[in-house]
Amino acid sequence: MPDIGVALSTIASGVLLGGILALTALGLSIVLGVMRLVNLAHGEFLVLGAYAGLFFLQFTGVDPLLGLPVIALLLAAFAIPLYRWLLQPLADRGPEAQMMTMFAVSIILQNLFVLAFSADTRSIARDYAALPLTLGPITVPLIYLIGFAISVIAILIVNWVVSSTAFGRDLRASAADAEAAATMGVDVKSVRMLTFALGVACAGMGGALIGAAFQFGPSSGGAYLLNSLAVVVLGGLGNVLGTLAGGLVLGALQSLGGLTLGDGYRDLVGMALFLAVLAFRPDGFLARGRP
Amino acid sequence: MIGKAAAGGVVETAVILIVAAALWFAPAFAGDYWLQIGFRALIYLSLAEGWNLMAGSAGLVSLGASCFVGLGAYVVFGLLNKLDMPPPLALALAAAAGGALAAFVSPALFRLRGLYFTVGTLALAELLRLTMINVSLFGGATGIFLAQDPPDLPALFHCALVVAFLASLAITFCARTRASVILRAVRDDEDAAAQMGVRPFRVKLAAFALASAISAMAGGVQAIKLGAIEPYGIFGLQWSIDVLSMAIIGGVGLRLGPLVGVIFVIALGELLADYPEAHVAIAGVILIVLIRFAPRGVVGLVAYQKLASRRPATA
Repeated sequence: MPDIGVALSTIASGVLLGGILALTALGLSIVLGVMRLVNLAHGEFLVLGAYAGLFFLQFTGVDPLLGLPVIALLLAAFAIPLYRWLLQPLADRGPEAQMMTMFAVSIILQNLFVLAFSADTRSIARDYAALPLTLGPITVPLIYLIGFAISVIAILIVNWVVSSTAFGRDLRASAADAEAAATMGVDVKSVRMLTFALGVACAGMGGALIGAAFQFGPSSGGAYLLNSLAVVVLGGLGNVLGTLAGGLVLGALQSLGGLTLGDGYRDLVGMALFLAVLAFRPDGFLARGRP
Repeated sequence: MIGKAAAGGVVETAVILIVAAALWFAPAFAGDYWLQIGFRALIYLSLAEGWNLMAGSAGLVSLGASCFVGLGAYVVFGLLNKLDMPPPLALALAAAAGGALAAFVSPALFRLRGLYFTVGTLALAELLRLTMINVSLFGGATGIFLAQDPPDLPALFHCALVVAFLASLAITFCARTRASVILRAVRDDEDAAAQMGVRPFRVKLAAFALASAISAMAGGVQAIKLGAIEPYGIFGLQWSIDVLSMAIIGGVGLRLGPLVGVIFVIALGELLADYPEAHVAIAGVILIVLIRFAPRGVVGLVAYQKLASRRPATA
C-alpha cells in the first residue's frame, strides 16, 4: 500500500486533470449533441490549440493562459470556413459522410503539423508549470490547479450560454429535433455552424492547457480523442455539466487505477469504464433512465 | 423477383469461383511486387466486404476493424506457438473467436442505435490493445514472435485468397438470398421490421458476427505474414480507418463497392509512394472530394452516369 500522502496527491491530481479533460471533451460533446457528428478531427483541433498557445507565447511574449480567449477566437475563425465548405454541404447525407470528412481533415492536419512544425514533441515552457503546490499531505503540480480552475470557469460560461441565452435555446432546440426547430423559425444551419465553432474553440483552449501541462506533438491527437469520447459517454451526450462531472470521475478513477494496478492501467481503466457505461447507462451515469 | 435474384446469385457465385481459380495461379506469373500488392488487396478486400455487409445492409457503421484484426492475430499466434496447431485450423478458430467476441459485446454495443455503435467499436479496439500492452502473458508492449518460420509469399497469397474467397461467397449469400431483404428491412426501419416479425437484434448480431469472423481470419493471415505482432500496430486505428475509407470510396452498400474501393486506395498509395511527405494529406484531400461529389462512391458515380446516358430524357 503506497503512502497515504502519495495516494491522496495522486487522486487530487487525477481530479484536477479530469477538469481539463472535461473542457477538451466539451467541444466533442456539444458537436455530437447538436450535429450528431463524431468529430474525428477533435484531437487535431486540440493539438492545434496547443501549437497556437506555443506560438502566441513566442510572438507576443504574453502568457498563453491569458491569451486563451484569443486562441479560442482563432480556432473558431478556423472552424467556420471548415463547416461552411466541408460539413454543411453534407448535412443531409447521414452521419458517415461528415465523420469521414472530419477524418480526412484530421490526417491532413496531422500531415501539415509535421510539415510546418516538424515531428518534434514540444511543450509550452512556463516556469510556474513545474512548481509544486502543497496543501497538508497533498502535493499537486500548480499547473494542474490553474488548468482546472480555467477549465471549470470556461465550462460554466459555456453552460450559461447553452442554458440561458437565445443562442443556447436555439442550440438545444436543434439538438432535440432539428426539423421541428427549423419549422419554428430557428436557423438550424447557423446554429450548427456556431456550435461547431464553439466546440472547436473549447478543444483549442483545452489543447493550450494540455500543452502547458504536458508535451505534445503532431500525432498526439488520437489519444485525446479517445479520452474525450470516454468523458462524453460518461457525462451524457451534449450535457454540459454532465461532461464536467464525467471528466472529474474519469480523472479520479484513472488515477486510482494507476495507483492500485500500476501506471500502465490508467488508460485501460478509462476504456473499461467507458464500455461499461455504454453498456449499462448509455445516456451517461447521471441520467435518470430513458423515457 | 426472387427467382431473378437467385439466378443472379448463381452467376455471381460462378464469377467469384472463376476469378478466385484464376488468381490461384497468379504466383506462377506475377513477381514479388505484385504478389505483395495482391496480398494486401485480398486482406483489405475481406475486411471491406465485412464492413460493407454491416454498414450497407444492417446500418452498423464500425470503427472497430482493428479490434478483430488484432484479436485474430493474437489467437492465431497463441495457437501456433503454444499448441503447434496446423495454420488452417488456427485460422478457423480465430474466426470463431472473432464471432464469439462480437456476440459477447453485442448486447452493449447494440443497446443504443447509430453513433453509439461506432463509438463503442472504437473503444473496444482500444480496450483490447491496452489489455495486450499491460498483460505480460500476451507479450506486453513488445508483442509476440511467431515460433515457426513464416511460409513463403506464394503460400501466403493463397491463404489470403482463400479468406477473401470465403468472405465474398458469404457476402454473396447474404446479398442474394432472403437474408438481404431482412437485413435491409432492419437497416431502414428497425421498429417496422420488428413489427413484421423480424428480430432486429438477431439480424444485426448475425451481420456483426460474420463480419467479425472474417476480419479475425484476415488478421490471422496478416499476422502470419508479419511473423511478429505488437499491440500498437495490429490494434492500430489505421486498420479501422483504412477499411472505412475503402468501403466509402468504393460505395457503401454496393456489391462492387469494396473491391473498387480497395483497388482505388491501394493504387493511390502506390502512386503517391514517391511523395512520402505529402502522401497522407493528398489522400485526405481526395477522400474529401470523393465524399462530397460521389455520394455513392466510385461505383455509384460510374453506375449513375451509365444510367443517365442511357435515359437522357428523364435525367
